[in-house]
Amino acid sequence: MSKIKFILNGREVFATAGMTIYEAAREAGVDIPTLCHHRALLPIGACRICVVEVNGQRNLQAACAFPIFENMEVQTESPRVVAARKLILDMLFAERNHYCPFCEVSGDCELQNLGYRYGINHWEFSTYRQPFPLDATRKSFLMEQNRCVLCQRCARACSELVANHTLGLRQRGAESMIHADANMPFADSTCISCGTCLQVCPTGALVDRRSSYMARDEQSERISSICSRCSVGCGIHIVTRGGNVLRIEGDWDAPVNVGLLCKTGRFLPLYEEERERIAKPLLRGKNGLEPVGWEEALQAVADRFNKTDAAGKVLLASSDATNEALYLASSLFGDGSMQLLTGATPNLGDKKAGDFSDLPGSDMILLAAANPVQDHPVVSFLIKRLVDRGKRLLVIDDEDNALAPFAEATFDLKSIGKAVRIAETLNRVTVLYGAALTDKAAKLLNKLDAKARFVPLEPGINTCAAVKFGLNNSGKIAGAKVLYILQGELNGNGAEMVSKAGKSTFVVVQAAYASELTNTADVVLPSAIWSERSGTLTNTEGRVQTANQAVEPLGEARTDWEILAMLADKLGKNLGTSFKDISKRAAKRFTGKEI
Amino acid sequence: MPKISIATDWLGGCAGCHMSLLDIDDRILDLMELVEFTSSPITDLKHPPKEGVTVGILEGAICNSRNVEVAKQMRERCQILIAMGDCATFGGVPAMRNLCGTQAALKRAYLETESTTDGVIPDSPELGVPLDEVVGIDKVVKVDLFIPGCPPSADALFYALSELLAGRTPVVLPPHLFKYD
Repeated sequence: MSKIKFILNGREVFATAGMTIYEAAREAGVDIPTLCHHRALLPIGACRICVVEVNGQRNLQAACAFPIFENMEVQTESPRVVAARKLILDMLFAERNHYCPFCEVSGDCELQNLGYRYGINHWEFSTYRQPFPLDATRKSFLMEQNRCVLCQRCARACSELVANHTLGLRQRGAESMIHADANMPFADSTCISCGTCLQVCPTGALVDRRSSYMARDEQSERISSICSRCSVGCGIHIVTRGGNVLRIEGDWDAPVNVGLLCKTGRFLPLYEEERERIAKPLLRGKNGLEPVGWEEALQAVADRFNKTDAAGKVLLASSDATNEALYLASSLFGDGSMQLLTGATPNLGDKKAGDFSDLPGSDMILLAAANPVQDHPVVSFLIKRLVDRGKRLLVIDDEDNALAPFAEATFDLKSIGKAVRIAETLNRVTVLYGAALTDKAAKLLNKLDAKARFVPLEPGINTCAAVKFGLNNSGKIAGAKVLYILQGELNGNGAEMVSKAGKSTFVVVQAAYASELTNTADVVLPSAIWSERSGTLTNTEGRVQTANQAVEPLGEARTDWEILAMLADKLGKNLGTSFKDISKRAAKRFTGKEI
Repeated sequence: MPKISIATDWLGGCAGCHMSLLDIDDRILDLMELVEFTSSPITDLKHPPKEGVTVGILEGAICNSRNVEVAKQMRERCQILIAMGDCATFGGVPAMRNLCGTQAALKRAYLETESTTDGVIPDSPELGVPLDEVVGIDKVVKVDLFIPGCPPSADALFYALSELLAGRTPVVLPPHLFKYD
């Protein structure tokens, strides 16, 4: 990239050719205000708040969209520019209801900040009196049209990022309004409630219901973490205040999702979780399960362990455990039977593994036996976005696949050969495959070995790591003397697994929520949930990422690996003492290398 | 040096801004050395004196015909007019009624509340007539200085008065005192 020289506020500045004035100024440390522009979206120059003076140009130019050129002279805060910005703000404030004390986002509003920056201490024009509707049909967030500045960030995010094309603009001029589909209530529209529009809205037009009025940004904390709802491993910010989680936002700097989240990741953990938490270790006594201390509970487990031979110990693991917990579990149960509660994608042997970054550069995407719209929504956004830009997609699935309408052809698994024949004619292919891929179908994919990259879409959050740690050695449950169920936050009671094991089996359940399974257990060890734990998680591409603790665990609950470390200690096994130590050992086992 | 005279009054407001003015605490004693509060809603004299004052301060929005009269009289009798608080500068909370309309607001308040029986919309000739639109005072009279805030902090008010006493006109409050809410 060649550097070119231009004059910014009288100062010589070098910047990369092709940059916009806004980008170049930002790099040079000069702040140009923006409103409709957003780092993740293409510039449209709609709001004009970023206007600057460019020599030789008759009119002021939108810095977010205007490219720099050699020797151009730019003024970013000249009297003419400031007067124009004030006029724009006066007009924005005159439209609709932008009165801050009425508004949930006061204090964190980009329009309000601009008002302060340019000293808008009164309204030059009378305010617009026509009330606009409020759409409260969605459970988790509102659309308050009266606070909309028509920057279209939401509509652009809906189309450019999520490729859902629900939001659009109707009417013209003062009647313009953001709407869903053909002016439908949002809940009845094609909206998938991913909340990306909510995250990009600069004003209080889109408001999260749960966290409104709970805290301004300056009063809240942001903890970077990893979503633990599926194996994609999206980067999130957990926003907290006083030890309470207020909301979840996508991390724009995260490599996997680049800011995007789905409904499941953004809203479900806070809006839909109604299961009862377990706050104390429980041990079965004369009167059923009784709360006990950690010491007593772990001693009971250790006693049983010591009395049981390796073959009698069976581990059932959900995949939402951290790498550290999976490492410890695999070390404790390595000689016995270990099974995954959620299954895994088939092992394709030594095929070339790829990751999501291979998708944009490939000529075709083969989606085999996976339904990302339902199971890995953020990946479905990525696929739909690429299809929008002309990428070819083939869907191979025996079930109804929600991406089928976007594919140029759909096949059932039996006829995967037909899809392979189409893909063979191309140079670069990415195959995304799910757990439902049959061995037979997998074999037919061999023909693509030379030109394809293969990316699994694992069914469980940390399945990739669980498989690498050998947690699906498909041993038997029947005849187990001690059954240790590493359930974590997983739904489902697992009672059928317990019945397979037999009545006399000693059942230990390490879980966050009370369920039928914990009710029948002999020992229940309370584990921390996503917001309360630190640890590493391996996403479906094999990327190891760190989840950070945002709030204190409920009651006496502990992080999954902490519980297993305490148990290892009780059993006199040295598997590591600190998080760092255990994490390092886990990584070593994982990669075969010291890190 | 003769004392600078200040008159205050309120229109469609909640008295919160006057509370904030009193909130400047013991600094008010220093202020009283230099200024004289001729009249205010919380003194015996309610109206600004005919001979005029240097500074007039108005709280509250223009909601009815009476508010217009009070604002105009204050403007005539003062040299510098300050709009104190969000209602005076933007219309504020009373301006919420613009979103449903004055008649609908009156009907809801006096006839339709759940506890009302045989309600009547007040129309005594002594009362001001509600306007169709609630506005800031600058839509009716010329304002020299706006101090937004709901209410503006005591520091913001003290800063503005101190600047005026020092012979400077604070056009916009400094960032740490400039608040809309």
